[in-house]
Amino acid sequence: MSRVTQLTAADADAMLLGAEFFGASIAGHHLEHFRSWLREVLLRRGPVPVVPPAELPAETQCAAIGVAGSMIAVVELPPSGDEPQGVAAALENQLDRKLGAVMAMNAATINALLPVIAAAELDLPIVDCDGMGRILPLISQTSYTVAGLPLTPMTATSAVRDQMSVVAEAQRAELLVRAMLNTAGGWLLCGLYPTTARQLVTGAIEGSISRVVRVGRVLAAARDRDHILRGLGSEVGATWLGGGQVVEVGPSGKRGAEPNQPANPTTVVVRERGSSGRVIRIEAQNELLLAVVDGVLVTAVPDLICLLDRNGLRIQGLERTNVGDEVDVLMVPAAPVWHTPAGLALAGPQAFGLPVRHPKEPVE
Amino acid sequence: MSRTPSLDALTVDALVRYGPLATATPLIEEHFDRPVPHVALVSELDDIRGCAAHTAVVLHPVLTHGVWAVESALRLSWERAASCVVTPGLPGIGESTAQLAKRLRMPVFVVPDDSARCALDLAAAVANPESVRAKVIAQCAMLFGERSTARGILGVINTEVPGVEVALVAEDGAVLAGRTAAATAGGDQVRVEVAGPDGKPWARMVASLVQGGHVRETVRSILRLARAPLVASVARERLEVVHRSARAGAALDVLLGAEARGEQSLLGPSGLEAEAVTELGWQPADLPIAVFLRAATEAGPDVPTVTPGVMSAWQQVFGDRPLVPRAAGWASWWSGTSCSPEEVRDRLRRGLSRMRSPIALVGGVGTVGEQPGSLRTSLVQAELASAGARGQSVGHVELFTELGERLVLACLPLAELARSAEVALAELLAASDRETLVETLRAVLDSGGSTGQAATRLRVHRNTVLGRLERIRGYGIDPDSADGRLALHLAAYALSTHGPAPAR
Repeated sequence: MSRVTQLTAADADAMLLGAEFFGASIAGHHLEHFRSWLREVLLRRGPVPVVPPAELPAETQCAAIGVAGSMIAVVELPPSGDEPQGVAAALENQLDRKLGAVMAMNAATINALLPVIAAAELDLPIVDCDGMGRILPLISQTSYTVAGLPLTPMTATSAVRDQMSVVAEAQRAELLVRAMLNTAGGWLLCGLYPTTARQLVTGAIEGSISRVVRVGRVLAAARDRDHILRGLGSEVGATWLGGGQVVEVGPSGKRGAEPNQPANPTTVVVRERGSSGRVIRIEAQNELLLAVVDGVLVTAVPDLICLLDRNGLRIQGLERTNVGDEVDVLMVPAAPVWHTPAGLALAGPQAFGLPVRHPKEPVE
Repeated sequence: MSRTPSLDALTVDALVRYGPLATATPLIEEHFDRPVPHVALVSELDDIRGCAAHTAVVLHPVLTHGVWAVESALRLSWERAASCVVTPGLPGIGESTAQLAKRLRMPVFVVPDDSARCALDLAAAVANPESVRAKVIAQCAMLFGERSTARGILGVINTEVPGVEVALVAEDGAVLAGRTAAATAGGDQVRVEVAGPDGKPWARMVASLVQGGHVRETVRSILRLARAPLVASVARERLEVVHRSARAGAALDVLLGAEARGEQSLLGPSGLEAEAVTELGWQPADLPIAVFLRAATEAGPDVPTVTPGVMSAWQQVFGDRPLVPRAAGWASWWSGTSCSPEEVRDRLRRGLSRMRSPIALVGGVGTVGEQPGSLRTSLVQAELASAGARGQSVGHVELFTELGERLVLACLPLAELARSAEVALAELLAASDRETLVETLRAVLDSGGSTGQAATRLRVHRNTVLGRLERIRGYGIDPDSADGRLALHLAAYALSTHGPAPAR
């Protein structure tokens, strides 16, 4: 796979499309002004170097910059523009060390763009990695956690410029952030997972920023559906699970919200054409969690399930999916770390309250 | 745990009709014929992998996190050849799940209450199938009392008794009611004889079973229960036929009487006749062509005795077309405006070949009526033609217009003539080859005394005919005598068509 070495203003479009793809469940929220913000910063501050962890000096201080909370809230109540610098400065004060590079908590949706903006404003390189390889609902559901890297010290700022810092174990930090979100306006821009480049070599999902750009370029150059399916297949190993018409969108079963999951379960049914057409049922809660084809579980979180709008040739988020839509259902395999026992325990189906083994999990 | 279904197992259908699944909502109404020897309450999807074939898989509420879990359970149950899946109700179970159930041919039931309780009830029913079967018998007995036809009574068994198809089969193998497949299917069957209202063997009920074992005794009990209402229904049907035929005969007498008096419009829409026509549901035929059926031989039961059977057989072939009993047989008619006598003859021939009449029949067809509604003449012709058809093969239909001079013979009391001939030609008839001698005598007389023509007709050598004539003369009979030739010719004709059985 080709590596991206720097990000310029010309990459803003691809960044946005790629970011939407890896945030498949919420794709379609209007992130265009974040693209404008990214383009403006890159024009003003110049290109941002994209550096693999192993190519940084081993003791380089790194930290993730990203938003926790509701993406809709971020869109409706956007940042003023200087929050990334503020959060980074607060974290530097907390650590008493200068940051040498910025990384992504998860290179998806807004959180693929904000670290680049922060890196540009701070005149730092961005590490070509992230902690999820997609979007997951909890800030603790990262490869960093799997590798044992601490989530805190963490600093955060809200839409109304509240300043917070947290020092706690990852699960406690998760709960504290959720509590703060309730009064902070729905989102917090966080500086978290302070670590060194050496630890990122084994604790991060490498190549995530390059992957976002490559996928974005595939989608930007899309001429037709086949072109997209082929491109995604070669760039990220995407598999076509099936496609047809959405015949059902609604609440899923009697299951209430899991205590640690900030949303209610939803089900989407896609039926293939013809009397023998397969029934593809997608179970969702924040994320598209699993796909069941004719009763057979074919894939599950942390693998990425995407709905591709056949007409608009765009990735379609859950909230924009309606009965009657024509979609393709794709699966992108998660990073290898997620298929380890520790990875599945943290982000597998059972972490979402689904009493089922991941298809790649061996039968005991 | 047994891996093969018990012969005594209840079916899904039985559990739906008389068991715990009666209150469950089926997503599909198919594939209910599967036996259910086992029940499993599963709280994890992996539990299904350990279920035996033909298990009723009941999903515990803790398993049903979403419709996806139900569909996954459905798929796993299909892989284990389960008999059905029972799930607690939850939002989202609907058309898509039903479609999957249909594709996998797997009955799925949604229970409104606790599925664990349903599993217990199912296990109890499966362990004690006799209680369910007792309910089946009671239900059938109750419904038999509400049905008045053989079709209705057989229908009760076919719809209420799971895994069973039953037919009512006549002595000759014809299916009178129920499902033909039951009579023709091989495999496990239960048969129960049914006597008619007169106490004589009439038919049998044949039940084809999906499974045997104790089900056989249950089915046998139900069939025995069905016997009495079946006999009552048959008696009722026969009474109705007798009543209807009597009314039809009276109405036809009125119509023909009116025509004989020269009154207009015998089958037309006016006056008393019109009322009779309307009452019987006849379609007034303009320019009618009469037909007449009669027994193929004079011997045998009289017309009133066999009328119910003949009319029943007629209705099965000709539907509502009227058939009215007369002294010598049964009368009917077609419309001469829509077909010719020849076409009526052909239809009648085809119909007679298919009719399951209690006696062998022949028929006659008259000419087209002279004026609208004029039936009398055509009916007389048809009756004569039917008499002429006697002596021919069973089911033969004679056209009056083709009867010619045989019309005279048709009017003769041939049975009486034959009896006289038996006395007059007693010596000849005592011969061991009397049939051959009578045929030879008739052939020679039919040929005007030509022994050559008679030999050709009999397909023997002329010398053989000459030898037989010598023997006939030896009995004191002279075919050449001008005085006795007419009487001798009639006697030979009567004996050859109505004579005694050949000597043995």
